[in-house]
Amino acid sequence: MRAAFGAEVLKLRTTRTVLSLFLAMLGLVVLAVALHGFGLPARDLAELSSQRRVLIAGETVGAVFAALLGAMSITAETRHGTIRPTFLGIPDRRAVVAAKALTSLLLGLALGLVATATAAAVGALAFATRDIPTQLNSADYAQLIAGGALASALWAVIGLGIGSLVRNQVGAIVGIFIWLQIVENLLIDSMPDISRYMPGSLAQAIAGSQIGALGSPVAALLLLIAYAAVVLLIGTTRVVRSDVA
Amino acid sequence: MKPDAGDNRDDAVLAVHNLTKVYGDQTVVDDVSFELGRGTITGFLGPNGAGKSTTLRMMLGLTRATSGTAWVDGRPYGDLDNPARRVGAVLESNDFHPGRSGRDHLRILAAQSSLPVDTVSQALELVGLTKAATKQVKTYSLGMRQRLGLAGALLGTPRILVLDEPANGLDPAGVHWLRGLLRDFAQLGGTVLVASHLLAELAQTVDRVLILSGGKLRADTDVATLEAEGRSLEDAYLALTSEQTS
Repeated sequence: MRAAFGAEVLKLRTTRTVLSLFLAMLGLVVLAVALHGFGLPARDLAELSSQRRVLIAGETVGAVFAALLGAMSITAETRHGTIRPTFLGIPDRRAVVAAKALTSLLLGLALGLVATATAAAVGALAFATRDIPTQLNSADYAQLIAGGALASALWAVIGLGIGSLVRNQVGAIVGIFIWLQIVENLLIDSMPDISRYMPGSLAQAIAGSQIGALGSPVAALLLLIAYAAVVLLIGTTRVVRSDVA
Repeated sequence: MKPDAGDNRDDAVLAVHNLTKVYGDQTVVDDVSFELGRGTITGFLGPNGAGKSTTLRMMLGLTRATSGTAWVDGRPYGDLDNPARRVGAVLESNDFHPGRSGRDHLRILAAQSSLPVDTVSQALELVGLTKAATKQVKTYSLGMRQRLGLAGALLGTPRILVLDEPANGLDPAGVHWLRGLLRDFAQLGGTVLVASHLLAELAQTVDRVLILSGGKLRADTDVATLEAEGRSLEDAYLALTSEQTS
């Protein structure tokens, strides 16, 4: 298991994938928060909930990129054929997926931290520049950052599970985007009772969002952990059982 | 089915018994059995789609057999303690991330099998890729990729080599080099199984041939026996693989 983990870390460090996605994520977070923080009329940014709505972009963008990296940790191996030497070296496929789950979790946590902290900083700067009083206290900021990072870490594991099931890289990436950016947004308006139990809404609830979200962040965290565990379990079973061509 | 194989059963390092793979209603590998001993180079011949690659994948634990067994050193591949130290395999010529350097590819293989770091430089030296080691694999020619694949297979100093079309993309000098490498490997007691649909490259290198066609093992014979009978490998191959279509 230690050898498998070491190999996974090396895989992440020896291509430009992580750096490229990290920079893209950073750019998107800055863009999203700056556009709203500087662009929205001041009266629309007066409330705590509306300020949170701007800053939550750190979590939503962080979670998407964490999920992509989690998915790509397995789909890239299928796509480039490195899955063969990987399984030849470590025939215990559970150990391989477990190592990927651990690296994805840690990488997702790191990405989430950077994304949420950046969002908080850019947002605070925007509010300060425009003399809009900040409604978030330090506990709100802490939840925004720590909760968002935790949610991103879990979404990285969900991404790995999806990548294990779908296996096609483009399919997995497009699927994650469509779910988080389109399907869940539609559900918030059309079926709020269902929407608040969906993994994207849960991630926002963990970071402190009140919009259509589960009231308790702790309950949201536990439920998202359960989602991640189930998806990873199904994905692992699929990886263990399927033939490698 | 195995007339003059000449190996001792107790000595078999690779043992395949009644191996069968069925996909839907198609039997891709049909009741294939053979055993390979130490110090031998065996050619695994057959037309495209004969079932060679599927057989190799079942032997190496990548594909599950519908029935039958494939053992390496007396155990299924998946039960081997650290397989890279026993078996080196190259199944495809391009199993690399294009944006990763050849050296980094090998470092990952070394890490996953807990091999010492200096094995990477040694393997690169052995296959003549030291100079190109830090370049991204996407800049490599097909021949260089074959060499990198071989370096990965040799990393754990295994006693068994399983190669699928290793000469594909190698220039004449490369093919010559590969032959020498395989001969040296066998001379030191290693076992080589090399699948190919190209006959000329193999005829001078292998001691024994397994001919697969339509999923069935059509022949298992020593090259010396063929020569004694006055038949060329090509004649035998064509006769055996055309039967199946009639």
